Amino acid sequence: MLPTAADGAMALEGLRILDFTRLGFGAQATLICGCLGAEVIRVESTRHPDAIRVMPPFVPDPGAKGEGFGAATLANAAGAASANRGGIFYKYNTGGKRSITVDARHPKGLALLKDLVAVSDVVTESFAAGTFARWGLGYDVLQQIKPEIIYVSMCGFGHSGPDVSHVTMGPTAQALTGLTFMVGLPGRPPAGWSFSYLDHVGGYLGAVAILTGLLHRRRTGEGQHLDVSQLEPATALSGALLLDAMLNKRPSRRADYPTGNRRLHPPAAPGGAYRAAGEDRWVVISCRTDDQWHGLVAAIGRPDWTTDPRFSSLEARLAHADALDELLETWTSSRDRYEVMHALQAAGVPAGAVQDAADRLERDPQLAARGHYTALGNAEVGPLPLEGVPFRMSATAPHTGGILHRGPPLLGEDTTAVLGELLGITADEVEALATEGVLS
Amino acid sequence: MSGPLDGIRVLELTDGTVDYCGRLLAGLGADVVLAEPAEGSPSRAVGPFLDDIPGVDRSLAFWADNVGKRSVVVGGDDADSGDGADSGDGADSGDAGLLALVAGSDVFIHTLRPADAARRGLSFEALSARLPHLIVCAVTPFGQDGPWADYLADDLVLMALGGSMAGCGYGPGPDGRYDTPPLACQEDQALRTAATYAAIAVLAAVAWRGEGGTGQLIDVSAHECSASMTEWHLMTYLCSGEIYRRGPHPTLTGADGRQIAALTPDFLGPHVFTRMLEMLEADDVAGPLSDPAFADPGHRARNYGDVWRALKRLAEKHPAEELYRLGQKAGLPWGVIRAPEEVLDDHHLAARGHFVALPHPELDRTVTYPGAPFVAHGSPWVMQRRPPLLGEHTAEVASEWARPTTQPPR
Repeated sequence: MLPTAADGAMALEGLRILDFTRLGFGAQATLICGCLGAEVIRVESTRHPDAIRVMPPFVPDPGAKGEGFGAATLANAAGAASANRGGIFYKYNTGGKRSITVDARHPKGLALLKDLVAVSDVVTESFAAGTFARWGLGYDVLQQIKPEIIYVSMCGFGHSGPDVSHVTMGPTAQALTGLTFMVGLPGRPPAGWSFSYLDHVGGYLGAVAILTGLLHRRRTGEGQHLDVSQLEPATALSGALLLDAMLNKRPSRRADYPTGNRRLHPPAAPGGAYRAAGEDRWVVISCRTDDQWHGLVAAIGRPDWTTDPRFSSLEARLAHADALDELLETWTSSRDRYEVMHALQAAGVPAGAVQDAADRLERDPQLAARGHYTALGNAEVGPLPLEGVPFRMSATAPHTGGILHRGPPLLGEDTTAVLGELLGITADEVEALATEGVLS
Repeated sequence: MSGPLDGIRVLELTDGTVDYCGRLLAGLGADVVLAEPAEGSPSRAVGPFLDDIPGVDRSLAFWADNVGKRSVVVGGDDADSGDGADSGDGADSGDAGLLALVAGSDVFIHTLRPADAARRGLSFEALSARLPHLIVCAVTPFGQDGPWADYLADDLVLMALGGSMAGCGYGPGPDGRYDTPPLACQEDQALRTAATYAAIAVLAAVAWRGEGGTGQLIDVSAHECSASMTEWHLMTYLCSGEIYRRGPHPTLTGADGRQIAALTPDFLGPHVFTRMLEMLEADDVAGPLSDPAFADPGHRARNYGDVWRALKRLAEKHPAEELYRLGQKAGLPWGVIRAPEEVLDDHHLAARGHFVALPHPELDRTVTYPGAPFVAHGSPWVMQRRPPLLGEHTAEVASEWARPTTQPPR
């Protein structure tokens, strides 16, 4: 077992992030920092709430059944019971984030925000390039307020370049950088991803940018603007494909690529997804070595395969992969996917069930044992199994509820507390500001 | 200008699955050294190879993830951890050189299972007793403990168990039966996610340690990293009980047969439809959409087929690249579906200085690599070294790292 710090220290304790991010990409970055102990203050708007606060899927009342994301349109987004029911908000806003509402277009609101910048270490935002500057909070202004401020912008195409006005969502950036193309069977159009993978990856690099700003400031005393896009984080995700195209003149846009679930480097045979018992149930199996192959044939009771000349070496198995896959599937297709996985793992063969969201929550003892989910809620939404960061640290344990050990915030629930704690504004003064419309 | 990790020594001893972690840290200025067995790190044996000629210094897979590192050959024949395989022959005298390198480092990244680490004297407990400043980052398929801790996984297994695979692939046939399997993206996306999270955790541990502080053990489970993706899938299940099933995504095929991802995110506000309609009308393909009834989102949702048919009429008139830019001009988040290498021609990335050419003098050629993953105006990405030749820096690192590591001020 890991040694654990008794004092509950967290790695980014004392770091204050004034967080203007919306949707997934930027919020993923501050989620990570929050789980590591940073104080994250979301600055929001009651008039223009974050779209993921008000779009389906909606967290239903206890015992009721909600509506899926597939139906997300402007028509039903207007049907949100409140700005605290959008389910995807709960995916991206753990880490103990607090929420305040301030109207940046109100002169007093802008003044409040500038006062908050002055007592923060990091400012994060994910608006279209230029928007934040038009609010009167561009990097030049932030720097005047606090020269050592770390400003991290996160938007699809970044803040410079000829296509800076382009708009992206995860699937846009995935298309443009080759990631959509890399999922598919040969001879068919790309199948792509069913979620915004680059919202996650962009957010991871957003967290790296925040940490970069912090470490650089420790060394030099200087702040800086770190400009994160969704394109640059993606180019390294295609591995050797760029080099293979450039140096070996082997483009990945070719008739026999992508290769579905088969991998060319290093190759596996058998290697892929095989039908298991049940409707649309699958298990993946991957044999790259002779040891794994011998484990496989022993586990499935087909030692005769080892004397079949078609399967006598990895090279031979690769040459006869279609025949081998067909034979193997006759064995897997009558068996439960988890039964196949455990039998093969016991024989030293990499194998795993294709798990969906319900499986991960209800049928994955490893995620459960690792404490992958933490039950967290707020005053309106009962405890949900939420995710934080997927690693442990022995001396500075991350917490999905951040330094405050709490769930994602209701819209504006911390306005009074934050303005009081950080700016010394009394509850009566907050009340007066609210009446003036400054805190909407 | 030096990077924010200047002076931080990182030693990597890996099975080749998470080399990308060290590459990120090298870009931030760390002195990253790859400890390799005499035959080379396992990733050097992974293709494709330069000119399709195998060789320890010719693996393009190795090159892609090892830019900016140095290479040291450590004695013995046991430096790799080999996909969880246990070479099982007791403590290895060859590890003496490795232990000396660990002693000179600030961060030690490895992919050893707990039992293998202990057998080699590399458990966190053993190391931290002597080296309290040391940050150890263990990246394994399932983490240091739990019922599946000893299970084996490559990227395909991680993509399957983590859930991203279940939703990706083609829709069912006319009979409602899926005749093709769920699909995982090529090029090790779950492992790359694990490598990236490992880098984040290392940065956080370095920030916390500061000067004279203590190190710690970071335990990265690639399975948990993989399971942390999928955006809306988990919440959809929690909210509605619905499981996302594989099916087609909104794409349009241009006049040249190439496709674009054609999102029309209505939920972002009424302006999305207004500007889309202007675009369609300018091309005389709006058809029934010009009926003011379509200004009502409810009407649009009920008559989505009309919206989609108008977009298809537009697509037939333009090649995909042009279609992409037409949509963007109307404020739609459209993107042309490119093959990975087609980003090399992207003028936007070029203008942001993303790609970096590094000389490989021994081959008498220069190779272009993806560069900084973000633009840091105050602390530019460090990218001067091409990937190391096997053992290229054995002597120089032995002498440099014999001096104690210096730690940055907190």
